[in-house]
Amino acid sequence: MEFGLSEEQQLLQDSIARFVEREYSFDKRQTLVTAGGAFSETNWATFAEMGWLMLGLPEDAGGLGGTPVDTAIVMEQFGKALVVEPYLPVAVLAARVLIDAGADNRLIAAIGTGEARPVVAHGEVGAFGTLGWVETRAARSGNGWRLSGAKSLVLAAPFATHFIVSARTSGEPRDAAGISLFLVAPDAAGLTRQDARLADSSRASELTLDSCEAQLIGSEGAGLAIIETAFAHAAIALCAEAVGAMDKALWTTRDYLQTRQQFGVAIGTFQSLQHRMADMLIELEMARSQVFRALAHLDAEPAVRDQAISSMKVQIGRSIKFTGYQAVQLHGGIGMTEEYLIGHHFKRLHMIDNALGTVGTHLGRMANQYSAQNRRAA
Amino acid sequence: MDFTFNAADEAFREEIRAWLRANLPADIAAKARHQFHLPWTDMARWVKLLNADGKGWAVPNWTVAQGGPGWTLMQQYIFEEVLIEEDAPQIDVGVAKMIGPIVNNFGSSEQIERFLGPWYRGETKFSQGFSEPNAGSDLAAISTTAVRVPGLSKDGGDDYIINGRKIWTSGGHFADWFYCLVKTDMAAKQRGISLIMVPAKAPGVTVRPIIDISEEHNLNELFFDDVRTSAANLIGEENKGWTYAKSLLENERARSGEAPRNRRYLQVLKAIARDRTRCGVPLIEDPAFAARIAQLESDLNSLEWMTLRALTAKAGGDLALPLGSILKVRGSELLQKITEMHIEALGDHGHYVHNYDDVPGSVPGPDYAPGLLTDFMYRRATTIYGGSNEIQRTIIARQFLGL
Repeated sequence: MEFGLSEEQQLLQDSIARFVEREYSFDKRQTLVTAGGAFSETNWATFAEMGWLMLGLPEDAGGLGGTPVDTAIVMEQFGKALVVEPYLPVAVLAARVLIDAGADNRLIAAIGTGEARPVVAHGEVGAFGTLGWVETRAARSGNGWRLSGAKSLVLAAPFATHFIVSARTSGEPRDAAGISLFLVAPDAAGLTRQDARLADSSRASELTLDSCEAQLIGSEGAGLAIIETAFAHAAIALCAEAVGAMDKALWTTRDYLQTRQQFGVAIGTFQSLQHRMADMLIELEMARSQVFRALAHLDAEPAVRDQAISSMKVQIGRSIKFTGYQAVQLHGGIGMTEEYLIGHHFKRLHMIDNALGTVGTHLGRMANQYSAQNRRAA
Repeated sequence: MDFTFNAADEAFREEIRAWLRANLPADIAAKARHQFHLPWTDMARWVKLLNADGKGWAVPNWTVAQGGPGWTLMQQYIFEEVLIEEDAPQIDVGVAKMIGPIVNNFGSSEQIERFLGPWYRGETKFSQGFSEPNAGSDLAAISTTAVRVPGLSKDGGDDYIINGRKIWTSGGHFADWFYCLVKTDMAAKQRGISLIMVPAKAPGVTVRPIIDISEEHNLNELFFDDVRTSAANLIGEENKGWTYAKSLLENERARSGEAPRNRRYLQVLKAIARDRTRCGVPLIEDPAFAARIAQLESDLNSLEWMTLRALTAKAGGDLALPLGSILKVRGSELLQKITEMHIEALGDHGHYVHNYDDVPGSVPGPDYAPGLLTDFMYRRATTIYGGSNEIQRTIIARQFLGL
């Protein structure tokens, strides 16, 4: 085993660290998420030029054929700076769905060049994080399909060039079979978008589809396995981002404890706060360990992979609730303000805890596997 | 021992509830339901309404002679419970429970009439100027100065000239007066602190908004640059301000657990969990989710009965415990846990920001969603404000356990 970075991975990490240092100071980010609408075409063009958008794409689609470890390296650095552009929704989640569904290589290649920004519209309010629950329906119409239903929390939807929408071509909402994937144009008739700003100031939308024209991608009815694989990749990317965000929050807090004076001394001299910070570090490193572990299981059979993903997300959630939340607490009042960075780390971390399945959702998924195994053994 | 509420207390509860249902303005209830901070114009209407006809309900802890209703601690607690159950705003705690009692106890009758009279009628707003950038948990380290000089007016009275900065001033942008702790004896530490009223509109006062992570403008930073205030605005004696401030913090011990708010928030959590479904099943019927609500309910029951013990403790101190600190620690942490679950139970809709001035329906989500994310963010401060939980634990360990 070797947990260190290769020379190429080190170069990748350094290049992103240089980018965020140059373009993602706290003040620049604040301007971007307010006046800038939470998306910079210039930054996106940089992502394309640097090859970060094509990192995980296969070589036959103009990509660099990088691994999920490379993606995690990008996300960790983005997490430190709270990068708000939708790298995960586009270059990880949507790209993986399109690759595995066998979509047109030209569309996949266009992600890498920055020309296309497809995003996945899969989640529904009633699913509450369960990937296999799809109520949206697809009906044949001439040579094509028409979709009707509603999708929630479609990340980066206001910046999307294509929507990848999951819908049922057969079966009931909870059935594993019968989920298909479709491409929908943002200006398609019957598609309504209601935009929202999220707690971390990124943007998402609710989509309503009313007999909306759509084009099937991949095999009819076989979409769920593709979705599950893509969300496993996305969960690792998200947790790598959380590790970066917690790491930055931890050291920012350490620095604050060394400088903030009360009762005539730096508050970092108080043993109760030293122990708190020690526990924050322990939580952070447990989280990081689980990201490595999940990466090691990403290509395992789905049941094993999903246990590893859930285990990781549970640890990340616990680490966020301690390390992320205590970062605000130890800053006191200043941690509560919009004008200081630590509160923004807290917001992003809180969102990550609640995204792609909460601790409760993932504990439930692990527990369900125990009972399924027990029934098979009996 | 007697573990029952008496019939008079139950009748009192119904009396308050009936009055609120008949008199609480619908527009104020609509705002209070979502837990947004009310602008002073709304709070002023509310104070005026609660005090109308000399009822004194906006000052539930004041005696009849002071203009209050003369309620028992238990009645005050019941009043607070019913307010939040009925979606009524809380009272203006800063005056009712902080500066009001100080002025009533240590101010002159002229000051009581001049300061508290207009507030009682909803005409003036007071905000607190205690904390400073370098004096938070260590409040005695304040450095804002007040120097006594001959006054400029013809009445011959002296003035104080104030210089310094104050921070975390709630509602300071609406204030007419700031009640401030200032240094009047630069050599002494706690003994050199005085309590003085500073006119908010005086020359030299700058109020800088602080937007908190809930995206609300409630907090402010104050800058005093040679601000004059009359010596007639000094409350009580010079250099006694620290003693006054400490005395009232001790009066607040039973309230600091916020048991009624915790109870209400748990009801809200259950309502969300009944409405939201996962794969067709209401969250509240999911055994794992319901068990987590049950854990919070058990925590709440502990807090409530600890609060009841504090409320019924005899004035002489038959319950020798650091009650305020115990309740503050548990109550604040529970508020954070319940609001975390509010957001989790909202599912996908828990991520969307709804601000106070957003048009209803402009943000996707159920009609009870606005305010929940804002309140979750704001409640991160509960373990920081009012004496951080770290300070409370130190009080328990040092002052009670003798460590």
